[in-house]
Amino acid sequence: MKNESTFIDVPAESSSAMKGKAPLIGVAKDHTTSGSGGYNRGLSIFDFLLRLAAIVAASVAAGTMFTSDETLPFFTQFLQFEAGYDDLPTFQFFVIAMSMVAGYIVLSLPISVVTIVRPLAAAPRLLLLVLDTAIMGLTMAAASSAAAISYVAHNGNQNTNWLPICQQFGDFCQKTSGAVVSSFVAVVFFMILVVLSGVALKRH
Amino acid sequence: MAKESTTIDIGETSTVTKSTSHALVDEKKKGFVTAAPGGGYKRGLTIFDFLLRLAAIGITIGASSVMFTAEETLPFFTQFLQFQAGYDDFPTFQFFVIAIAIVASYLVLSLPFSIVTIVRPLAVAPRLILLISDTVVLTLTTAAAAAAASIVYLAHNGNANTNWLPICQQFGDFCQTASTAVVAASISVVFFILLIVISAIALKRH
Repeated sequence: MKNESTFIDVPAESSSAMKGKAPLIGVAKDHTTSGSGGYNRGLSIFDFLLRLAAIVAASVAAGTMFTSDETLPFFTQFLQFEAGYDDLPTFQFFVIAMSMVAGYIVLSLPISVVTIVRPLAAAPRLLLLVLDTAIMGLTMAAASSAAAISYVAHNGNQNTNWLPICQQFGDFCQKTSGAVVSSFVAVVFFMILVVLSGVALKRH
Repeated sequence: MAKESTTIDIGETSTVTKSTSHALVDEKKKGFVTAAPGGGYKRGLTIFDFLLRLAAIGITIGASSVMFTAEETLPFFTQFLQFQAGYDDFPTFQFFVIAIAIVASYLVLSLPFSIVTIVRPLAVAPRLILLISDTVVLTLTTAAAAAAASIVYLAHNGNANTNWLPICQQFGDFCQTASTAVVAASISVVFFILLIVISAIALKRH
């Protein structure tokens, strides 16, 4: 690559030749790191988009469950037949947890932007990975506990004489089931986010 | 830094000095890595990971078997039926037993991978495999634990609005055993989160 002169007067020129060599090595390093930096940047952009999708999934889940009230069109002299998310503590937990999850993803968007801008920084990615894992656990807990209650509401339980309420409150059951499905979609997004952060960390 | 000889014969230098300089740089880098405590740090993390897996195996096997044997027969009976409660009366508890058993066998199968990461602290592929599969299994464990927890809550408290009666008032032992199993599964969830974080930290230090 370089052609040095055939006779080098070493005491003076060798130090400058060595100094001249150093930037080349530096440049070579830059080439390799910018290659993996570009890959990491692509992963970060995908991560950011996935977070936007997860915000939608989580807030749809929370909102659908929150507005899943149903009032039956008949009533007796004493009471009107109503069903809402606040009749079941598990659904209350679901609404609160999914709202927290949506808020967390919104707050994690700046950190994701930082990983796009600085693709080789490890600390933001590690932070995101740890937080995403914990929040994924919370989301999955809310989703599956609500799913278990939805299952009982749909099918009842003969052994414990728990009657399936979905046969009266059809709309309520439909909406809550839709909310549960949306939260499972959010869990899948979180899993992909965690794996993405792990792969991006590997490439340093 | 190394001192080169005073007269350089340039004909061979363009490749020789480049290769020697690369070797210098690489040796410097390698010297840096082996001299630094990075390898020891990672090995310590991996050993902790292995121990955590052993503990998680114990807890998940315990949770699954406790729920499996959570039967209770009430001491009175009518002419037609005897009052029994068991895990197979609740589809959620059936799911719990099966899922936690799957998680326990996954952990046993992941022990060789963990040993490989102890023996070769700088290998990336086993750690990445462990990270991905730990994430998936964390999801499964959390699902089983949370679903069973919500059913246990319902069994303890019932629900006035839907007229679901709390059965724990009759089947006290069954409820207690089921609750213990759910608590054990939740502890294993915490272990899994720790395992994932350890894998991530160990991946980072490359």
